[in-house]
Amino acid sequence: MTRRRWLAHIVLRALVHRWGRTLLLLAVLTLASSLATALGLVSASMKARVAEETRKYGANLVIMPESARVEVGSGGLRFGAVGEPSYLSQDQVLAALAKSGVKGDYSFHLKGALTLKGVQIPCEGVDFTQVRRLSPWWQVAGDWPRAGEVLGGSDLTPRYHVHTGDLFDFDGGKRPLRVRVAGLVSTGGEEDGTLFIDLKELQDQMGRPGQVSQVRLLADTGKGSLQEQAASLQRFLPGAVVKELRQVGRTSEELLGKVQLLMLLVTAVVLVTAGSSVAGTMSTAVLERGKEIGLLKAMGGSRWDLLKIFSAEALLLGVGSGVGGFLLGGLIAKFVASSVFAADAALRLEFFPVAVGVSLLLALAGSVGPLLSVFKLDPVQSLRGE
Amino acid sequence: MAAAIIETSQLTRSYGDICALKPLDLCVPEGEWLTVMGHSGSGKSTLLNLLGGLDRPTGGSISVRGTDLATLSEDGLARFRRDCVGIIFQQHHLIPYLTALENVMMSQYFHSVPDEAEARHALERVGLGHRLKNRPGELSGGEQQRVCIARAIINSPRLLLGDEPTGNLDHKSTTMVMELLRDLRDEDRFSIVMVTHNQEVAAWGDRTIHMDDGCLVREERTKGC
Repeated sequence: MTRRRWLAHIVLRALVHRWGRTLLLLAVLTLASSLATALGLVSASMKARVAEETRKYGANLVIMPESARVEVGSGGLRFGAVGEPSYLSQDQVLAALAKSGVKGDYSFHLKGALTLKGVQIPCEGVDFTQVRRLSPWWQVAGDWPRAGEVLGGSDLTPRYHVHTGDLFDFDGGKRPLRVRVAGLVSTGGEEDGTLFIDLKELQDQMGRPGQVSQVRLLADTGKGSLQEQAASLQRFLPGAVVKELRQVGRTSEELLGKVQLLMLLVTAVVLVTAGSSVAGTMSTAVLERGKEIGLLKAMGGSRWDLLKIFSAEALLLGVGSGVGGFLLGGLIAKFVASSVFAADAALRLEFFPVAVGVSLLLALAGSVGPLLSVFKLDPVQSLRGE
Repeated sequence: MAAAIIETSQLTRSYGDICALKPLDLCVPEGEWLTVMGHSGSGKSTLLNLLGGLDRPTGGSISVRGTDLATLSEDGLARFRRDCVGIIFQQHHLIPYLTALENVMMSQYFHSVPDEAEARHALERVGLGHRLKNRPGELSGGEQQRVCIARAIINSPRLLLGDEPTGNLDHKSTTMVMELLRDLRDEDRFSIVMVTHNQEVAAWGDRTIHMDDGCLVREERTKGC
C-alpha cells in the first residue's frame, strides 16, 4: 500500500470512528459554505434581475459629438438648436465599443430635416431593428417600417397631416425621396414630433455617409458599473462625450451594491462564527486524541507526519462539506431568490470552487491552532494522559 | 565483550527543583536484556523515556548505537525512534479504530511503507495470525500486548524498550509475553531494556539494576530464562 493511500485510509478511519464529531464539523462547514454559495448565487441573480429591469428603461448611455448642438425647448415647444451640428463616425464608435470591451445593445441616430411641400419636418435616421430592441416602450400604431417606409411621430398627424399608409414625396435632400408611412409612434416624448427614416437613407440625403449625431447604448451593467463603462468608452472616443442617460441605472447599481455589501458582511460574520466553531471542535478533538498523538510521536511520527494526518482530515472535511455546501447553497439560493426577489437563481458551476474554497479555508484556518498544539504535545505527558 | 548499544555518562533529568534521575553511568552491551526495577518515583520510567528519545536529559550524555541523543533535534529524535527503537507500553496504547494488522502497519508508515504481508507475518510471529482484523476492543489484554510487541518489532529495531509490559496482565499472559519476547530476542538479537516491579519478570533478563530516588543503587546478574 502506498503511503498516500495509507494516509487516506487512516484519515477516513479516524473520521468514521468519531462520526459524531465528524458530522458536527461537516454540518458547520456545509452550512457556512452553503451560505456563501447561496449569497453569491442570489447576488448574481439579483444583478441579472436588475439588469433585466433597467433594460426596460432603454439606453443607459448616450454618446454625442463633443460640440453637438443642443436642442432648446420647453415642454412640447421647440425653439431650435444652438451651436453647429457635428457628427460621429459609426466606425469610430464601433471600434471604441470593441476596444473598451463595453457590451450591450446600441442604436445609431442621425438628426436632420426633410422638406415636405416647402415645410421642414424634423427627421431622425435610425436602424429600426436596433431602435425596436432598445426602445421596447414605443407604441406603434400600424407597422414597423420596412424598406422605403418611415415611422411618423404621433404629433405629426395634427401638424402635417401624416397618416399611416400615406405616401410622401420629400425634397431638400440630395435627391427626391418617396416614402410610405408604415405606422405612427407614440412615446410621450420628443419622438412624437419626429419622422423616423432609415438611417442609411437619411445619411445619403444629408450627404453624411457613415455619420451619426448620437449613439444610444444599453450597456450591460453586469460587466461593471455604468460609470466605469462610460469612462472606459470615453477613453477611446476623444472627440465625443459619453454620458449616463438616466439615473435609473446608477440608482439600481448603488442599491445593488449596498445589498451586496450587506450580504458580504453577513457572510463574513457567519464565516467567522463557523471558523470559531470549527477551531473549538478541532481543539477538543486534539485534546481528546492526546494519547493517540503521543503514541504516534513515540512510534517515530515526526511533527510533519502528524501535521499531514491532521491536515488531511481537515482537507477531507473541507472538500466533503464544500460539495455539500454547493448543493445546499443552490437550494437555499433558489428559495431566497424566488420568495424574496421573485427571480430564479440557477446553480452555477463557477460557484463550485467558491463553495469548496470557503469550507476548505474554514477547515484549515480552524485547524491552525489545534495543529500547532499537536506540534507542541509532549509524547510522554500525552501517553500518561496529562 | 559485545559493543555497547547504550552508554550514558552522568545522565541527569530534573523537573524544576526535582531531580528525577541523578547522574547515572550505564552501559548496555548489544543483545543484552536489562531489567530496571524500583519503586514508583525511583526514576526508572524517566530513564526509559530518555533511552527511547521521548525525553531529553538536563545533564550528562546518552548515546544509543553511537548516536548522542542529546544533540538531536525534535525531528532527529523522531527519526531515531522510528529507526532504532521499539517501545512496548504497559497500557498497550493501540489505536482503537484500527485493526490489529493496521496498528502494526501504522508503525511501518512512519518508518517506510506500510506492507500488509510483513505486518501479517509479525502478528503471526506473536501468535495472532487469527486476530488480524480484530480491533483492540475485541482483544484480550494479553492479545493487545502481543499486538503491541508485533508493532514494536515490525521495523527490526536494535533496541526494545518495555515499560511494565506485563503490568496489566495475569500470570498466564505474563508468562506467554515473556516467552515471546525471549524467543523474538533469540531470533532477532535485539537488546531489551525493561522496566518492571515484578521479580519474576526481572528474572527473564540477563541483568537487573535497582533504582531508588533517581539513583542506581544495586546491580545484579540474573540467569535469564
